[in-house]
Amino acid sequence: MTSLRIGVDSGGTFTDVCLLDETTGQFSVWKLSSTPQDPSEAIANGAREAVERFGGDDANVSFFGHGTTVATNALIQGRGARAGLITNDGFRDLLDLGRQTRPHLYDLQTDKPIPLIPRDRRLEVSERLLYDGTVEREPSEDEVRTMARKLRDMDVEAAAVCFLYSFVSPAHEVMVARILEEELDGAFVTASHQVCPEFREFERLSTTVVNAFLGPVMKGYLSRLTPRLKDAGITVQPHITQSNGGTITFETASTLPVRTVLSGPSTGVVGALETGRIVGVEDIITFDMGGTSTDVSLIQNARPETTTEAIVHGYPIKVPMIDIHTVGAGGGSIAYVDSGGFLKVGPRSAGAAPGPICYGLGNDEPTVTDANVVMQILNPKELLGGRMPIDRDPAFRAIEKLGEKLGLSALDTAAGIIRVVTANMARAIRLISVQRGHDPREYCLMPFGGGGPVHAGRLARELGMRRILVPRNPGILCAMGLLLTDLRHDLSVTRKLPVDATSVPAIRDAMRALRRDADTWFEKENVGSDRRRLVASADMRYAGQNYELNVPVPDLDDDAALLDGLTVNFNEAYSRLYDYTAPDEAIEIVTFRVEAYGLVEKPQFTENANAGADASAAAIDSREIYMPESSTFETAHIFDRDRLQTGNRIEGPAVIEQMDSTTFILPGQTATVDAYHNIVIEEGDA
Amino acid sequence: MPDETRIETATVDPVTVEVIGNAIASIADEMGETLIRASYSTNIKERRDCSTVIFDATGRTLYQAEHIPIHLGSLMGVVSAILERHDVSEIAEGDLFIGNDAYTGGGTHLPDIVAASPIFYEGALVGWATNLAHHADFVDRGHAHIYQEGLRIPPIRLQRGGEMQQDVLDLVLLNCQVPKERQADLRAQIAANRFGVQRFQAMCERYGVPLLTRVFDELLDYAERRMRAGIATIPDGTYSFEDQFECDELEEILTFRVRIEVKGDEIELDFANNPPQVRAGLNMVETALLATVYYAVKTVTDPDAPPNAGLFRPIKATAEPGSILNAVSPAAVNGRTNTCQRVVDVVHGALAQAVPDRIIAACNGAVTSSTFSGVNPRTGNFYVYLETLGGGFGARATKDGLDGVQVHITNTSNLPVEGLESEYPLRVERYELERDSGGDGKWRGGLGFRRQIRSLHDECRVSMRGTRARSAPWGLFGGHDGGSYHVESDDGVAPFKLSAGLLMEGQSIAIVTPGSGGYGPPEERDPELVQRDLREDRISPDVARDVYGLAVED
Repeated sequence: MTSLRIGVDSGGTFTDVCLLDETTGQFSVWKLSSTPQDPSEAIANGAREAVERFGGDDANVSFFGHGTTVATNALIQGRGARAGLITNDGFRDLLDLGRQTRPHLYDLQTDKPIPLIPRDRRLEVSERLLYDGTVEREPSEDEVRTMARKLRDMDVEAAAVCFLYSFVSPAHEVMVARILEEELDGAFVTASHQVCPEFREFERLSTTVVNAFLGPVMKGYLSRLTPRLKDAGITVQPHITQSNGGTITFETASTLPVRTVLSGPSTGVVGALETGRIVGVEDIITFDMGGTSTDVSLIQNARPETTTEAIVHGYPIKVPMIDIHTVGAGGGSIAYVDSGGFLKVGPRSAGAAPGPICYGLGNDEPTVTDANVVMQILNPKELLGGRMPIDRDPAFRAIEKLGEKLGLSALDTAAGIIRVVTANMARAIRLISVQRGHDPREYCLMPFGGGGPVHAGRLARELGMRRILVPRNPGILCAMGLLLTDLRHDLSVTRKLPVDATSVPAIRDAMRALRRDADTWFEKENVGSDRRRLVASADMRYAGQNYELNVPVPDLDDDAALLDGLTVNFNEAYSRLYDYTAPDEAIEIVTFRVEAYGLVEKPQFTENANAGADASAAAIDSREIYMPESSTFETAHIFDRDRLQTGNRIEGPAVIEQMDSTTFILPGQTATVDAYHNIVIEEGDA
Repeated sequence: MPDETRIETATVDPVTVEVIGNAIASIADEMGETLIRASYSTNIKERRDCSTVIFDATGRTLYQAEHIPIHLGSLMGVVSAILERHDVSEIAEGDLFIGNDAYTGGGTHLPDIVAASPIFYEGALVGWATNLAHHADFVDRGHAHIYQEGLRIPPIRLQRGGEMQQDVLDLVLLNCQVPKERQADLRAQIAANRFGVQRFQAMCERYGVPLLTRVFDELLDYAERRMRAGIATIPDGTYSFEDQFECDELEEILTFRVRIEVKGDEIELDFANNPPQVRAGLNMVETALLATVYYAVKTVTDPDAPPNAGLFRPIKATAEPGSILNAVSPAAVNGRTNTCQRVVDVVHGALAQAVPDRIIAACNGAVTSSTFSGVNPRTGNFYVYLETLGGGFGARATKDGLDGVQVHITNTSNLPVEGLESEYPLRVERYELERDSGGDGKWRGGLGFRRQIRSLHDECRVSMRGTRARSAPWGLFGGHDGGSYHVESDDGVAPFKLSAGLLMEGQSIAIVTPGSGGYGPPEERDPELVQRDLREDRISPDVARDVYGLAVED
């Protein structure tokens, strides 16, 4: 009997289904058009078709993982639920006031994001805790019930509750949530201490409100998808990816949909992590370049850097997520000359439709892809394995016209577009590396998405990175990542404690409680004891600061050793970031965290035999490529990725074409095909 | 030699300029993050009342990070103040200067302490990494002249060759009311500069100083071109405006005036005939006026132009020395930001005649601030809590204003209630929008808000500063004025004198910040928007009925 793992990445245009046969280790990919009205249709159909096509009659699906943009799209398009809020007397306007800053320093026409719950549906009750959890005013059951009924009369589909200091003492929120559930039949109810039990009331409120806004949407979506999957013969408990790069069950996703808002890009990072793990590369900067934007992230010691806060479409969201930085730089990014006479690229994009000029679908503003086609780095006749005919001439004319404003030739303008977009992407990578105390030169660049491998060579040079690893299938790394993702649940508890002997019992209590909660989750998710893994950490700072550094908590029985370990870990992290420590200042712990992983069995990839350095069997063509360094066209060999064998070596300049991407190797760089058919590009000694 | 000259004057290709421009911007941005994350005082770590700027060797602004526009006023003068006072040959690697004085230090008020580090590469001075942090200190002082306002620091070395000048530090700290915070925040300022110096040196290593020097020129020329292109879109002409300025520190109401001449791609702002400097902490020094004017013009011409010295070139602003807008020693300057906001109001008021679609109705026109200080019974230590409050942001030609934000020359964050109450013996009782404070109009002005704070101990010393109490943020083209600033105190609170007073345990005061003006006549407002504002209680039933003519049930 064939045992299959399925990953489905549902995007705006295509739904990618990735299958892994657990017995043979064979990967298969099935692509179909998405059904934007109800994405679950294409997902279930795609899964069924793929199983029929690749699995045979007796196929059994052992894992189903799914990455979705349902939550992201609902947030961006403002198509969430009709929600209401209950909060402290005197504070319903916190959602309007936010942190009191305006969105743009100089532009008088910029707007603040519209609050997801309008003011009339934000109700106040008399309740107040103090900073240490002392009860100042107990909420009255009668008043809460009256407010809940008011919300019911307003026909809300979802209700949120957020009180000051609920992260210290959640009892009052628990009570309000209970009454809301009693009074609002079938509505989605969510409380801030469950969504984000952390300090800073506005960010906690914002996250909770986003969760309420998305709750009914996610619930509706999953309730359509679940029976469809059953009909398609998938009986295993399905999983959905969350923004931290782990998966959760549908049940958890429908309680905490806010955790899936950045799930799309995070699966790509997991795909990169696993691709690296197979070949023993643990320090990676990921570079995912699509049509409108580029996502970058950093993986150190096989662990993606994470963050606990991001602003998504103007709304602060505080949940654990992979620290992915996005810039508006993609293949469709439009180049123009601004009022000061500088060449700019993006963030405006021609997207996938009409797309670049060379697609001939109606756009007449030059894009990054047009520049690559003009320089002939990209195939000037066809792309996507022949599915997309390319017309270079109109792209050339448009870039020539742009160049007239700069006093540059068409070719130098095209090269300039590439330099500017490379600089934009380099700035994004500096932000997640140098700014966080990591030297990019110590990392391997892993490009994926349609555009990553085209630009990786120049980007690596810009950053002084000497090694690039191009995965076998750069276009479907997200769907592949789904198959390799572990189950993950993040737990945290805020307990402000000094790092000294008096705190040891409280430290141990906090860690014990988190471990207990993790065990409960393991049980719920049916994770066997041999597949459980816990990573414990603490957010620490000098007493007096308000920004913490996340450092590992050593698992030590000896009290003094535990405190020493915490101090050493903090000092190391602090000094790396700020280049000094203040030994005379007290250190404190603010939040304890535990990441609970349910490890999934990773497929065993088989090594391919070395076929020797000669790549000539895969050489299919040659063409002239414009090199701005020498201001001339140089001849480059063109290779077919599908025909390359392990051990093959290619000297730049060269281009490797495959259906979903193009890899460009610069003069001075050498590409080698590794045992898993990844391409490793390294700088020569020059 | 002729060859070298040619190389020196050759322009660098625009792409290289842009790449290096981005690199400089990211250095300044990263310095700002370092400063915020490593600091101790709530005013910096949560309210982000700080800024960073990279200068070239001669003190020209290469990039101002996007924090607080008025801080440019304190930063732009500092390098020239250092160079005036110190022989450049004696400035060495590892030196770090601090300064705050408005008359000798290039500053605009004493709490803003600037830290400036020279950047050396291969033995030559190539630039300056600078940052400014607003230290919430020097409280409960007089403001008749600057000697009363706090410790004046000319530009002097806090570090020499990387070594802390302990004598200097001791002197500074002794003059501060919360020395522990000052020391930690200064440490964060030092860390931010150290970071900036290292990154700038790495950039020199990569590109070489000769190329960078030419790029700096190009970056400034570029900003200048964009600014000129923006100014050229304003119709030529002379535009004048006047507005009232009052403040709770001042008994009289002053009138501010401007006369703006736009000719081609240049703009000249003449602030003649403004009131003489006052014996109150409301005076602006010249750099504060310039920073304010650059801000105001940029919003109208090109909000995205890179914030460097090139954009100053087509802008000329003059005010008579000794006037409140160009004060001379020893005028007091502590609360100059309220004055700055009114300068923006008059500049925008004048330009509304020229570009009515780009100008917005008057914003709240204030930096409403309050300081709470006393001995914290939980720790026994003296504390100072400073907050500045936003208000309404004026209505625009095609849309409503923004409710409850910081406007114009400042953009500090608030302090989370949960941060405030755990650090200080104070409690926030209400933090809510003020109904009807947005000027009515076809487009409604943004609302001001109320913030009520209760003292949890005796002898809590409070001082407040605000404007637009006796005047109102004006509407445009038929739009109504917005609501005014006022303070509400509990029964039993002794009357405040010149906006300063005492709270005893359990007593509270509430500050209500000004709203902002409306745009266009209210009769033209879409009735659905009136309905929405009524439903959301942003306007009262009376206003809906009397101003907008909506049939409202009682």
